[in-house]
Parts: sequence; structure tokens; C-alpha cells
Amino acid sequence: MTISNALMKTAMTMGFLLVALNVHAEETKTKVRLFGVFSPDREKDLRKITDEWTDIKLESVDFKHAEGVFVFDADKLFPKAKPEQIITNLDNKLRTSSNSTFGIKPLSTVAKDKLVRIEIGVVGLDCKACSFAAYNIVAGVDGVEQATCSFKDGLITALIDPAKTQKSVLEDTLKKRNVTLKQDQVTK
Amino acid sequence: MINPMRIIQTKNLWALGLYLVLVHHSFTAEPTINPFLEKHCIACHEGANKKGGLDLTLLKVDLNNSDNFSSWVKIHDRIQSGEMPPKNKPRPSETDKAAYTKSLKESLLKTEQAKLAGAGRTGIRRLTRTEYENTIRDLFDMPGIALQGLLPADGSAHGFDKNSDALDISHVNLSKYVEAANLALDLATATRPNPPIVQKRRISLANSGGFVAHIILNGDGVLLKNKKPDPDFPPAAEQSHLDEGAHERMGSFRNGSSVGLFRHEDESVSPYFIEHVTIYPGLYRVRTSLWSYQWDKGQVLPSRGTEAARLSVVQLTGDGRGGQHPSYVLGYYNAPSLESKEHELTTWLNHNEIIGFNTASLAPVANYSRKGRAMAFTGPGIACDWLDIEGPLHSVWPPKSHQTLYGDLLITEFKQAEQKEVRPPQRKAIRQLGAGKNRPDLVTGLWTVKSENPLKDADRLLASFLPKAFRRPVSDDVRKEYVARVEERLKAGDCFETAMRWAYRAALCSPDFLYHVEPDNKLDDYALASRLSYFFWNSMPDSQLLELASKGKLKSKEALRVEVDRLLKDSRSQRFIEDFLGQWLKLRQIAANDPDRGLYPEANPYLQDSMVAETRAYFRELIDKNLDASHLVKSDFVMINEKLAKHYGISGVTGAEIRKVPLPKDCPRGGFLTQAAILKVTANGTTTSPVPRGAFVLERILGERPDPPPPNTPAVEPDVQGATTIREQLAKHRADSSCASCHAKFDPPGFALESFDVIGGFRTRYRSIGEGDKPERGPIDPFINIKFKLGQPVDPSGVMLGDKQFKDIQELQAILAANPERLLKNLLEQFAVYSTGRPIAFSDRDQIANLVEATMKNKAGVRTLLQEFVQSEMFQTR
Repeated sequence: MTISNALMKTAMTMGFLLVALNVHAEETKTKVRLFGVFSPDREKDLRKITDEWTDIKLESVDFKHAEGVFVFDADKLFPKAKPEQIITNLDNKLRTSSNSTFGIKPLSTVAKDKLVRIEIGVVGLDCKACSFAAYNIVAGVDGVEQATCSFKDGLITALIDPAKTQKSVLEDTLKKRNVTLKQDQVTK
Repeated sequence: MINPMRIIQTKNLWALGLYLVLVHHSFTAEPTINPFLEKHCIACHEGANKKGGLDLTLLKVDLNNSDNFSSWVKIHDRIQSGEMPPKNKPRPSETDKAAYTKSLKESLLKTEQAKLAGAGRTGIRRLTRTEYENTIRDLFDMPGIALQGLLPADGSAHGFDKNSDALDISHVNLSKYVEAANLALDLATATRPNPPIVQKRRISLANSGGFVAHIILNGDGVLLKNKKPDPDFPPAAEQSHLDEGAHERMGSFRNGSSVGLFRHEDESVSPYFIEHVTIYPGLYRVRTSLWSYQWDKGQVLPSRGTEAARLSVVQLTGDGRGGQHPSYVLGYYNAPSLESKEHELTTWLNHNEIIGFNTASLAPVANYSRKGRAMAFTGPGIACDWLDIEGPLHSVWPPKSHQTLYGDLLITEFKQAEQKEVRPPQRKAIRQLGAGKNRPDLVTGLWTVKSENPLKDADRLLASFLPKAFRRPVSDDVRKEYVARVEERLKAGDCFETAMRWAYRAALCSPDFLYHVEPDNKLDDYALASRLSYFFWNSMPDSQLLELASKGKLKSKEALRVEVDRLLKDSRSQRFIEDFLGQWLKLRQIAANDPDRGLYPEANPYLQDSMVAETRAYFRELIDKNLDASHLVKSDFVMINEKLAKHYGISGVTGAEIRKVPLPKDCPRGGFLTQAAILKVTANGTTTSPVPRGAFVLERILGERPDPPPPNTPAVEPDVQGATTIREQLAKHRADSSCASCHAKFDPPGFALESFDVIGGFRTRYRSIGEGDKPERGPIDPFINIKFKLGQPVDPSGVMLGDKQFKDIQELQAILAANPERLLKNLLEQFAVYSTGRPIAFSDRDQIANLVEATMKNKAGVRTLLQEFVQSEMFQTR
């Protein structure tokens, strides 16, 4: 599978990635960033939703990078959409189907080697919805490119763009939203 | 006749003066003035020494003056009963007494009969607002339409709101009648070719938009699956759940879990099934599944017994959040231990009404901010698996309400293009408040009834409608006036439906509908049918009554007897039970005050509703079983549920439903007086006093209306600090001779009722917020914090007028029950005032005595009394 640099550059600029591969002539593969995949078992939840779809297929999920590949015929599915609107339309469809617990964004424009991984120790109920709530808080901070949350493990992780945010900002945001942090791990 | 020579011989100038007054004033009857009054009464009732405010030397004998008449009636009664002259004065001989009272009675009767001759005694009276609402409900077969709230409150006279003296009418009434008629016609008229689609929705108690999801995130409840904690929703502990919205989006409350609550409704928590907000008023089927459990820090265990949950109806208003209080209670439903129990009911719901829930039998508990929340809590809980709501249910379409107005006329689409000169019918937009997930149907087009021959149809429809609405035949002339109205509107360009509405609205706002129309003196068959139905159903007569009336068969003794039995058997007779008891025994005032939380922490809405249910069920039992009058004050059974059983200290009663329970030996209950509802309405929420309670017994049970206290007499306020008892305070009060005579009558029964606190709990010591000893918990729920103390002992003993002593409530009950004639007489008078809309007259007394005697002779009870009364001239005369 090869993708020309030119196409990559164009797609990135447009905010989405089109991957023309060996599929039906009309269908294209689209790789996107996934919102809502905050723990490994969320892939199952996502598939439960996308399996109901007849016109879009979820080909793969990369939990490590919170990315996924969808296959669909954009012309048929979104006939009037401009290319830059396709991901937005796809996001709307997924949000509607998932009660806004999943979403889609264009792939990150920040180079992966520029991102910094941080960990925040948290205390809370071993509850998937609570993890989603805490994930939502972190994922909503500008500069957070990817996050996970598990109250069972007592851990929130985030890949952040250090140019935009830092760990203490996330900690403060979490505290303001009533998430209890493990005191011995809080940034001084 | 008055003998002037005899008066002169007495050398009493006052009597001479009185005679001069008598002979120089015109009056229709004259009481016999003889030495009786002079010998036994004048000494105490004259000049500056006048006792009880009565100066016989100044009392005129003009019996046509109603005040004078009342005074002479009182004099008659006091002498006849032996109350006067007082015990410490020389007694008149029985012969003298009888002669004097006989003579006075004849004069009083003669005067009254002359005054009442030729005119109906019941004044012209309109429907009460309860009667109005029930009449509209029955006329249109819309059994739950809410109209009372639109109308101004009625007054009360002679104990009831049905008396013409209490039923004035103003421009406010008139404008509200127009409003109410419009609402009724809006709801009664079908505006679509097919009924609204029946929507069925299963709702979790933790439904979106409600309060419950929020409180269970914080430990006031839990999610349960298979009678265990939901593994996907751990109970709140040191940490609460985060973000209600996130949980709703993740489907935490939509995964089929049951919702278990520890907390009940309070000022900040209103558990509502808010996902259904009624759009189409009508009948709805409601089903729910309930069970109970004991929660032990994360474990679900068998509960302490059957708990009870309340379903209610809440009217959303304003911003759609509801008013914190249910509009009315649908019922209390059992939640057995670890066993789901399904309950089903069909109820009418009005626009923007929702179903409310409450863990009624639980004590107030709040884990919300408590350390450890649900995982640190051990206590009872009630679980709701789900609530299904289905409706609106229509057995026919168009509904009966529409058929009442428009018969079998077809509903067709109104096409303006085809009838450009006709104004289309008006339709109101449906506005749904709150967070309901049910949605209005899509109806395209404007639909209305179609008439090919409008005036002919109008005449036919009004010929059917008006006699029903007016409860009697309607003349052709009257009907034509209404048809003329329709014609007028049609000429003005209104469509047929709108034109007919004008006529219908006019009919519903006319005196023929709003007033009880009764002929002078003897009621005709139709007026009798209405009197019967407004007595036993508080509403219009049904077709059977009207048919009997039309055939002239209603007045036969047998037909009346059968009809009374039929009316009482019908579920609509519950309206009579509720309306009559609401006024006679003041049950309408059950929520007039909230018991002091410090003194009576166990009081709650479930107890209060159970109290009212008990009194109603007891009265129903008296009627159904035809129990004798002694049961008004004494019985060997009670009508209670588990809540009341605990309150009364009676064991072996489980569940929320009211049932008949034999009284254990020595239990100080039985009869109305010891029912918690009666004891609550006669107390002020903080303290009890023998004065109002004794006055209640005297007036409501024994039929003797106490005189009001003299002006500027301060009330005796009980001491909640516990330093002195009310008996001690009253003893000082009674030292004043002007107070003593009246208090001697009503204090004694009040003393006996001191054995019961403000919520009807039995006591041997007063509760105190000051001095006293620490109480035992008794039946008070372990989760209720007790702050009160036990103060002074209660002394329930007393001496009734006539020197009958009692040491406690049971002995008082025995004294009162020993005189069933008096109890029956009073009950009959209450029925009479309630059903005829007029006060008891002096001239009714013989008839009342005869009816009581007839009932007593058959050793019969309340039902027989009702039957005898309905057959009487008193009932059948205006």
C-alpha cells in the first residue's frame, strides 16, 4: 500500500485522509482520528454501532493511536458534500448513532514525535461512564491530541502538544470538574 | 295565650313591659309568657347580672325577627334538655317544664310554618365547583378533566358548601364559567378523522430530564440488575459518579436496570417519570413493577417487610419543572421483599401531566453528601423495575364526548377553497412542556364535522344535548332559542362546528346548567332525580334516573329504594363519601398544617393519606354494612393499612391497601373520634387542646353547636415547653364563670381525646421540646432522628354534662355510644343539610325525630337512615 506524498499533503491540508486502495471503484478508505476510544473495550462498542450501518464499514481500529479506517462511497453517501465536508458529515453520523459518545476528527497535523505523553493518577468509581466523563474533560482541552482513561487502573493518559498545554492544566481542569486526583502524583 | 292579669299580679314591671311589647307589635305567633321564666330564669338573666349575655327583659318576642326566633329556640332547647335552670338552682317540676316548652314550641312552629308557607325553603343555588366538574365529566364522559382549579373557591354555610348562602356568584364566576366551558368543549371535540396513535413507552425511574439519575450518581439510590447491584454502575462511595450527561449518553440508565432508591421526595428531590408528558388528555394505562430490599453497604438483602411506593400525577407548569407537589395521588402500591410485583391502573391524564413517584414508606434519608455515600449506608430501599405508560386509549372514535355534541355527523377535511365564505374552525397549537419523549402525531389538513343540513342538524343535536345538560326536559321554545343562535353564527360566516360551539357554550353558561332548578315545595320527578344524584354522586343524574323520572316512576317507594342502593353501589358514590366527609368531618383540612418536625418527626404524606383513606373506608363500611349509629363513636374494628397499623400499635397488618382489621382487646381505637385523620384536623400541628376537639365532638358528632367565645377572650395556648398541662391551664380559664358553662360542655370529650397527639398517635405523656425524659422509639422508624422528650402525663378523665364520669377515651366512647338516637339524629341532620342545601329548621325537628325513630325501631344503621331520609318529605321538598 503506497500513498503518494502529494496526495498525503493535499489530504492533510484538507483536514482528512483519502486512501484509494484495492476496493470497489466507487468506495474509498478514509483514515481518521477517533474520539471516544478511551479504553480498549471501546472498539467493541464502536463496532456494535458501525455494524448496524449498511453503507459504511469500519475496517480497522488502532487503539494505540486512536485512529480508524472507514470504507464508504462518499459520492453515494454524501452526494452534495464538498471533500472537506465529508469528515464532518461522517462525524455527525457517528455522533448521532452513538449518542455523542464517539466522534471523528481529521488526523492530527502535529508530528507524533512532537507529542508528549503524560499520566495523571485518579481515584474514582470503576464505571465506564465515569471514565468517559473524565476522558471527555481531558479530550476537550486544547492541545490534547489523544487520551485514555480508566478508573479501574486509576489512570488518565494523554498525548499533548506541549506548545499548547501542559499536565498541570489538565490536572486543574479535572479538579474543577470534581475528578479526584491521586494526591501523591499531582504536579507540584 | 298571654294572660295580662296574671302578669300584673306578678308585679313585675319587666313582664308588663314585655306584654306591652307583645301586644303592640304584630307577630304571627306568641310564646306563652308565664311565671315559669320569672320563677326560674329572670333572676340570672336580667340587667347587669345577665348570665351568658342573655337579658330576658330585653328580649323581644317578635318571632318574625330571625335573631329573636333563634334566641327563643335556644331558650326552648336549654329548658327542655334540663341544662337550664342550672343544677344549683331550684328545679321546675316536669309538668311545668313540659307545659312551658310545649307552648313555646307551638308558637315557634306556627311562626316558622307561616313564614315558610308557599315558598321553597332551599334558596336558589348554583352548582358547587366540585359539582360543576363532576357534571361536565359525566356529561361528556371525560372522567378526569380538571376544571375545579379554574373556578373561584366556594364558601361554606351551615357546615357545607352546598348551601345557597355559600354559593354567591360574581362576574369572576361568570368569566371563569366561559373559560371552563371553552376548555371542556375543546377537549370534547374530535378534530381529526382518526384517534391519536396509542403510544406505549417503558420508562426507567432514572429517566433523562428527571431528578433520580442525579441523586443516584451521588448515593441516594443505586442501579440494580437481577436483584443485585448493576456491575456497570457501582454504587456511589467515597467518590460519586461524574457527570450525569456522560452517563446518560453512555446509556447507564437505559440498559434495563432497576432503580433502587433510599431517598424519598422532598423539597429538593422530585422523582418524576418525565419522559412521558401528556399531549392528548384521555385515559392511559399505567403499569409498574416494584420490589423492596435491604441495602447493606453494597449488598442487596431481603427487606424488613413489604414497603410502599406512591404513584401520583403532577401537572407541569411554567418552565415545565413541576410544582414539587403532586396534583393528586394515584395510589400506594406494595413493593414486596426481593420479588417484583406488577401493578396496573387506568387513569385519566390531562395536558402536560406526568407521573410522579415516591418511596412512601421509607424514612427521610440522604446519602448525597454523607461520607461513603451508598457504600457506607445500611437501610431499606424500594426498587422500580420500570413504568409503562400507554395511551391515549379510545374505545370508540370519535369519542363519546364528541358524539354528545355532534352525534354521528362525519368528520371531514375542511377545504377553504371549496367554501371561501365560511370561516374555518379554530384550533389551538399543542404545547408540550418538559422533557417528554412522546410526540404529537402528524395530522395534515383541518378536520371538522360536516353537516349537509345545518339547521336541521343543530335542532336535532340540541334536542339531544340540552335535556342532558339541564337534567330535565327542555321546551321547544328554549331549544329554538339555541338553534337561533346557531343560525345567527352560520349567517355570520362561522362553520358548523363553531356555530354549534356558540350554542353549547351558551348552554353551559346558562342558569339552566349552572343552577339546581327546583320547583317550589314538592320536587317534581326530575328535580328529585337531580337531588338524588347530586347527593350520592355529587353530579348529574344518569340516563336511568332520568328515564324513571320521565315515566313518573321515581317517586314510588320501591323505585327510590332500589335507586338509592344502585347509586351507592356505583363507583361514583365515592364522590359523596369524599365530599361529605371532607366537610362534615373536616377532612378537607387534613393538610391545613404540617406537624412540627421536632415533636412529630414520624409524620409524613403516606401517613396523612392513609389517615384520610381510613376515615373514608370506615364511612363506606358503615353504609355498606348498615352499621348502627353507635359505630360513629365506637367499633370493634378499624379500616387500616400497614402504615396506620404501626401508628396505632396493631400488629399483623402488611401492605398499603386499607382493609378491615379487628381491634385487639383494650386497644383505644374504634369509631371516628379515635381515627388519626379526625385527631389531626382538630389539632394545630404542634399541640392539642381539649377546646377545639371537644367543640368538634359536640358540633360534628353530637349535633350541638357551641356558642362562640365571648368577645376579647384570649385563646388558651398549650405549653410546648412541657411545664404545665393544658388541663391545668383550662382549670384557670374555667374559674371565670362566664367561661365555665360552655367549657363544661365541650372540655370533657376534649379531655378524653388528649390521649391522642396531633397526628393521632396514642400517648400517656405529652411530647415536649423542653423539659422531659428521653422517649422510647416505639414504632418510629429507626432512621428518624428523635429530638422530642416526654413531658407531663396525660389525664384523659372527665365528667360529661349530666355527671357521667369517664376515666379514659374508652369510657367516653361507651357513654356516647349509649345514646345512639342522638348520634343518628345528628348524622341525619348532616345528611339533610348536605343534600337539600338548606339549614335544619325548627319545624324539621318532628320529622327528624320520626325518621330516627323509624331507623332505631328496625335496629338498623346508616344505610337505612339514608333510605328513610330519601323517602321523607324533607328530602323531597325544596
